[in-house]
Amino acid sequence: MLMDPALGRVIARWREGDRDAFEEVVDRYGLQLLRTARLILRDEALAEDAVQETFLKAWQRIGSLRDEDPGPWLTKIAMNESISTYRRRHRLHALTERFGRLGAGRREVSSEARLDLAHALDKLTAEQRAAVALHYYQDLSVEETARVLKVPVDTMKSRLKTALRRLRELTGAEEAFA
Amino acid sequence: MSDDFEKNLRDHLHREAEETREFPRRLRGRIRDGIAPRTRVRMVPQLALAGALVLVAVAVLAFRNPTIINVVTTKITQLIQPSPSPTPQPFTCTDRSGGTSGASSQLSTIRTALHDGYDRIVFEFSAQIPSYDLTRQDSATFVRDASGQPVTLDGSVGIKLVFRNTDVASGVSADAKPALTSVREITEIGNFERVLSYGVGLASSQCVRVLELSGPSRLVVDVATTASASTTAAPTPLPTQPAATDLGQFSCLDHSGGADSGSAMQLTAVRVAHQPGGYDRIVFEFAPQAGATAHTPAYTVSRQASAKFVKDPSGLPVTMRGSSGLRIVFQGASGATSYSGSRDQIYNLPVVQEVEQLGDFEAVLSWGAGLSEASCIRTLELSNPIRVVIDVQTP
Repeated sequence: MLMDPALGRVIARWREGDRDAFEEVVDRYGLQLLRTARLILRDEALAEDAVQETFLKAWQRIGSLRDEDPGPWLTKIAMNESISTYRRRHRLHALTERFGRLGAGRREVSSEARLDLAHALDKLTAEQRAAVALHYYQDLSVEETARVLKVPVDTMKSRLKTALRRLRELTGAEEAFA
Repeated sequence: MSDDFEKNLRDHLHREAEETREFPRRLRGRIRDGIAPRTRVRMVPQLALAGALVLVAVAVLAFRNPTIINVVTTKITQLIQPSPSPTPQPFTCTDRSGGTSGASSQLSTIRTALHDGYDRIVFEFSAQIPSYDLTRQDSATFVRDASGQPVTLDGSVGIKLVFRNTDVASGVSADAKPALTSVREITEIGNFERVLSYGVGLASSQCVRVLELSGPSRLVVDVATTASASTTAAPTPLPTQPAATDLGQFSCLDHSGGADSGSAMQLTAVRVAHQPGGYDRIVFEFAPQAGATAHTPAYTVSRQASAKFVKDPSGLPVTMRGSSGLRIVFQGASGATSYSGSRDQIYNLPVVQEVEQLGDFEAVLSWGAGLSEASCIRTLELSNPIRVVIDVQTP
């Protein structure tokens, strides 16, 4: 992918170990990555941890960045970090939820239990939230979202469709349009 | 109907994301610490051993030749002394810019002192002097970044200092009223997205002298207090809208201007035309949001040696017509709901071949211009309505 020449010079300095150049990259991409990570992790502190780890990995792995804009590359690392952070922190919760679901079966959301979008997003899986955040917040196309999250395009289409359906159910939007 | 839901979702995600207003300083510090070179720790024993050997050597030499002590202390004093001040510069009545472009720094101290003929303000940094702008203004009222709230300092005129890529150490006073002749008050008026700004209230309009010193890095602002310290010329009038006959010189450098303050400005029009004076003109016109104050959004115009650009935030490549380009980025601006014109305009002008929107995301609006050849530019900031004008020199 092509790169702004000014940014190219910053990356070249970073490759030579220039910490100031690296910090310029942190300044340029940090806020957007933090916001996206927070959308996935639903927790400010966890999002900060994920972004910190993202940049530390990026610092160490600069050799793997080709002559391209570092934005998508950093986003890939940040998404991996966010999803694995979420999995680590919510392993027990996920297990409980899984067993709970097996026992209870699919539970319809009553009108009284309708959630606002923020709470409905909490109910998605981290992978679904990552897809939603990249597609609807960062405005990446389905193909780009699939590339960042390293899944086939069809899988991504299905993931987004499932996430949307779940959000509609949880917020009652499905009912309203039925 | 599904579009409505997706639109709501998109809006909600943006609102939720924007609750994180800035990249936290503590997180930047954690990342900085995380990449600190670790070799220093491993070097400690070697350095200690080397230091001990030097001390032993000095002791032996001192025993054999006592004058060596004077030589060594002189050398050490030279090493640890701050760099001598450069030759004093004259006071001038113009705005200034300087520092190291791209340098990241932290403001560690602000000091003031009364001198014969001038008041001195010293901004001391932990690393290099960052890129800065000093602008004079005809009132002591400033606009806080990023709230847009006005703040009026003691005094009748002011100086604004903006440091880029800089944060401030804890303990640095956010407001001081030193007992000086001209400098009445120094207040932090912005610390947002690593742009740190200070307003200085002055008793009256005075010329200034700016010195950049090293060891430690310091930016010294001397404000004249007597006529003898000033240049003979009276302070220049503060910047106004340029006269039609004095549009300024073209330069082959990147340009920047405006101010990222208050609510985002809304792009309403993009116009491009050739002008008989020997330039193609690109005009970006803005309007404030309802109830907000109009201002020129902060912008940068970067020249580049190709017509290839990258879209923000997707990173996708865009190739425009031409062999050279300009990237124009506005901070605190958007055209998402206000601009209904074409976002990709083709021209057959002497130099400007194409103008296309590259991004409109998180109040950062960027456009690119494809040029038939590398050309020098000048920028103008006009009001009523707010316009940023980029003139591209033609052969």
